[in-house]
Amino acid sequence: MSDASILTCTGLSIGYRNQKAIVKEVAKDLNLHLDRGELVCLIGPNGSGKSTLIRTLTGIQLPLSGDVLLCDRKIGDFSPEEKAKTLSVVLTSQVQAGYMTAFDIVALGRFPYTNWAGKLTESDREIVLSALASVGAGELTGRFIHEMSDGERQKVMIARALAQEPELMVLDEPTAFLDLPHKIETMRILRNVAQKTKKSILLSIHDLNLAIRCADQLWIIDRRGNLITGTPEDLVLSGIFGSAFEIEGVHFDAIRGEFSIPVERRGTFLLSASESVERIWTLYALERIGFVPAGNAAPDISVSVRMDENGPRWYYSHPAGEHNCGSIRELVECISVHHNGGDNH
Amino acid sequence: MKLDGTENGDSMKRFLLALPLIAGLIIIVFMLDLMLGSVNIPFDAILTILTGGTVKESWMNIFWDWRVPKAITAVLVGGALALSGLLMQTYFRNPLADPYILGISSGASLGVAIIMMSAGICGAGAIFARIGLLGDMSISVAAILGAFAVLLLILLISSKIQSNITILILGIMVSYISGALVTILLQFTTESSMHTYSLWTFGSFSGVTWSQLPIMAVPLLAGFILSFCLVKPLNALLLGEQYAESMGMNYNRIRIIIITTTALLAGVVTAFCGPIGFLGIAIPHFCRSFFITADHRVLVPGCILVGGIIALITDIVSHVPGTDIVLPINAITALFGAPVVIWVIVRGTKFGRGVTT
Repeated sequence: MSDASILTCTGLSIGYRNQKAIVKEVAKDLNLHLDRGELVCLIGPNGSGKSTLIRTLTGIQLPLSGDVLLCDRKIGDFSPEEKAKTLSVVLTSQVQAGYMTAFDIVALGRFPYTNWAGKLTESDREIVLSALASVGAGELTGRFIHEMSDGERQKVMIARALAQEPELMVLDEPTAFLDLPHKIETMRILRNVAQKTKKSILLSIHDLNLAIRCADQLWIIDRRGNLITGTPEDLVLSGIFGSAFEIEGVHFDAIRGEFSIPVERRGTFLLSASESVERIWTLYALERIGFVPAGNAAPDISVSVRMDENGPRWYYSHPAGEHNCGSIRELVECISVHHNGGDNH
Repeated sequence: MKLDGTENGDSMKRFLLALPLIAGLIIIVFMLDLMLGSVNIPFDAILTILTGGTVKESWMNIFWDWRVPKAITAVLVGGALALSGLLMQTYFRNPLADPYILGISSGASLGVAIIMMSAGICGAGAIFARIGLLGDMSISVAAILGAFAVLLLILLISSKIQSNITILILGIMVSYISGALVTILLQFTTESSMHTYSLWTFGSFSGVTWSQLPIMAVPLLAGFILSFCLVKPLNALLLGEQYAESMGMNYNRIRIIIITTTALLAGVVTAFCGPIGFLGIAIPHFCRSFFITADHRVLVPGCILVGGIIALITDIVSHVPGTDIVLPINAITALFGAPVVIWVIVRGTKFGRGVTT
């Protein structure tokens, strides 16, 4: 093993057992590897065993067979305190602690380092404040956790995990409660932490688009408990990514890197416009209402985008004439009126 | 209330600033408790007694045999109840938890009921006729045995069951069973035993004599010390059991210490003063609002001091100074305490802080 290796599993089987027998095997023969400073997203459909894997990797649950090596050492051999200094977690459940400031919460991350009374030294204080600063929560320091928004609270919980000064941070669905901009912000913070502090980060996430764009490595569990690992781009190019998630009627668009929303097909279009943002969004709008590019065949409708001094204009031509529209909304309405399903394919 | 001093998130400094005020207050109410009662002893007489002088003999007797042990008892019991309430609220992460939620006092009540009723049934009522406000060690022993039995039961079950919600429900069930048994005993007892028992359930700080005081004080002080040793894990538990464990806390060991400490505090209090309600649930909330923190390094000493102050005030009021009337402690704690707590909490919510644990 190289000394950059933070987490290694070979031949790991995970699942549940009662006193004697294995009750349910969730996944087996898992071989995993996580390097220093790497950000890994664990993705998989609901019920595929993400949580079980996370619980096993953090030592909360015993593996059915195989070993989890944290810094080349079996996770079961760590004392609770040693483990806390190597591994910290951010859980899905939201913390309901009143009368605790962000500073108080993050200071709890110093638990394995402080004396019996939890007294903070000057260096503990500095670590707490710098953890808050590195997640962009410096201004939250003196604020109460129960007065914060979900996004602010999540930052504080990440800062707490950071203040524990682990080698590896494990986050169970850190973006679950957040709206899209806050999801992206959280991922940006985690990327930053991984790059600047050289900490390794493993997180489970439901948002596939975000995972593709942020992760150094993806761990994908499919419904049968198979685990595939690789760089996101490789997994997209090989088609593995799409096939792991596609369900009836939902397909992965490898070019856009996202799942397309299926619509009833209404016809083909020809779009003439220069390369611009307007062109791209006109394209999206036409696809949304059920048109596909005509390619070399004759299109059912043709649309062009031209710029004049007041901004973009959309021209929609059909056999009966041409319409000049000031917005995509107008364009879409025009198409609906004139292309009234008359010559559906 | 202003948030001065929270700029760096440190609530300890604010507590240390308030400490002289609280210490002064506890001395003042302690003195008042010594002075006021059915016979009011003036302040200069108290000073004379304390500096070794002599005053009227009746005052001397009242002071030494009656007021001083009662005031010390009130301080210790108030602190113990507040502290055990705090431990339970943090452990169960439930703002409604109180010292008796584990069923400890119900076990104690059952012990006391058995002793009193069996005496009544056996016709040995004469022996117990003196019970009442003067108290009797047999009641304390019975209460401690009852509390200890419940503690053993809870520990035995909690070694098998992880979930603290299960333990919570279990404690409540134990309370119901004890309550039912007490009711059955009451059904078959004499009227005087019943009266004695109900007097015991009113709660009183006056039953502890000088000879009993050390027996009560030593376990309570041990409970205080244990609680100080628990401040760090208690703070970690504010984030929940899983976070606490992930930070290196040994959850199973800590919860046994928490349960045992609570049982020690609540059991001993019940044994010597009866099941005193309200203080245990209200004072931790009051302290959180007052010190504006959930940090146990502040709340543990804070609850002991504030608990002591409030118990002393309760005792003064219950003796209705200048009259022979003695009202039940339990009535006073709730009647005068509840509006104060409601005020503190409602005022708190205006700033976005309500009851929280």
